[in-house]
Amino acid sequence: MAYSDKVIDHYENPRNVGAFDKSDEGVGTGLVGAPACGDVMKLQIKVNPDGIIEDAKFKTFGCGSAIASSSLVTEWVKGKSVDEAVEIKNTDIAKELALPPVKIHCSVLAEDAIKAAIEDYKAKSDQIKKVEAAE
Amino acid sequence: MTDTFSGNLENTVAQTGGEGPGPGPASVAACWSCKGPVSAGALFCPVCEAVQPPGQMDHFQRLGLQAAFDIDPDSLDRLYFDLQRRLHPDRFATRTPREKAFSQSQATSLNEAYEALKDPLRRADYLVHLRGSGVLREGCNQINDPVILMEAMELREALAEAQTREEVDRIATETEADIADCLIGLSAAFRGNDLDGACGLTTRLKYLTKLADEARVHRKALAEN
Repeated sequence: MAYSDKVIDHYENPRNVGAFDKSDEGVGTGLVGAPACGDVMKLQIKVNPDGIIEDAKFKTFGCGSAIASSSLVTEWVKGKSVDEAVEIKNTDIAKELALPPVKIHCSVLAEDAIKAAIEDYKAKSDQIKKVEAAE
Repeated sequence: MTDTFSGNLENTVAQTGGEGPGPGPASVAACWSCKGPVSAGALFCPVCEAVQPPGQMDHFQRLGLQAAFDIDPDSLDRLYFDLQRRLHPDRFATRTPREKAFSQSQATSLNEAYEALKDPLRRADYLVHLRGSGVLREGCNQINDPVILMEAMELREALAEAQTREEVDRIATETEADIADCLIGLSAAFRGNDLDGACGLTTRLKYLTKLADEARVHRKALAEN
């Protein structure tokens, strides 16, 4: 199976590989996996007080399509609000990377990862608000 | 001689109390060739000895085993090779096209069953699917367990950072030990009919198996440099 040029580009030069301290305020972490193929993906966002995603990092152990999907998502979410980022669809990722049908699940994983990161961020900021309100 | 084994098969299936899908031991169909009575799951017609189509049964039933995680690999091999010898399409080379086709599909179903049961991970996956309701068709994939995911991510990171063969070997040895623990846990979970536990362990085993594969690849790459 041939990978598209975009997949190869992201695979060979992955953007935003790395990690933030997940205990930092404003950092949301999404950890997802696909047991059927053994892939694991971590995607993190750093959100500023205005609710804008300032930076994003990922670490993926999986095939080229999984790496490219998560790399692409970190590029896309930067500068977006969390409400905009949650709208990212796996079909958009698959289309951009020209993924073949057997690799669609990789784009689903990346969508799940960004959604999980946003959920984690929201749960954390709700918790902080609660603590502040109690004080 | 031809029906010695199907007799055993029926006994075994009857003992399981009809666990899983498939026809009950009492169901009887007509032989496609002589129209004589053939009990479900029989390989050959007891009247005319014509090979029968494979029929609906689970992989354990097909090999004449009780549906359980703990199976003796030697018995599995013996059962498989015995059936394979009797159903192999080479034995039907001079028979009618229909018999050839049935022996072919019997042999294919038998191979599928053997492959699914031989490897403990695939067997666990299959057994969760067989016993569990609401489990994904392709088996057991618990996707949201944070503990399993965290472990998988940390181990893959450690492997990616390993610079020497000794480090890779250490990770590989620990992984083998974790895999052995998983198999012990799976055995207990299935015996206690703890499907959630078995599903979690199956999921963990998938990541560990992948890790062991990756460790071999990583070790080879280090050895070549």
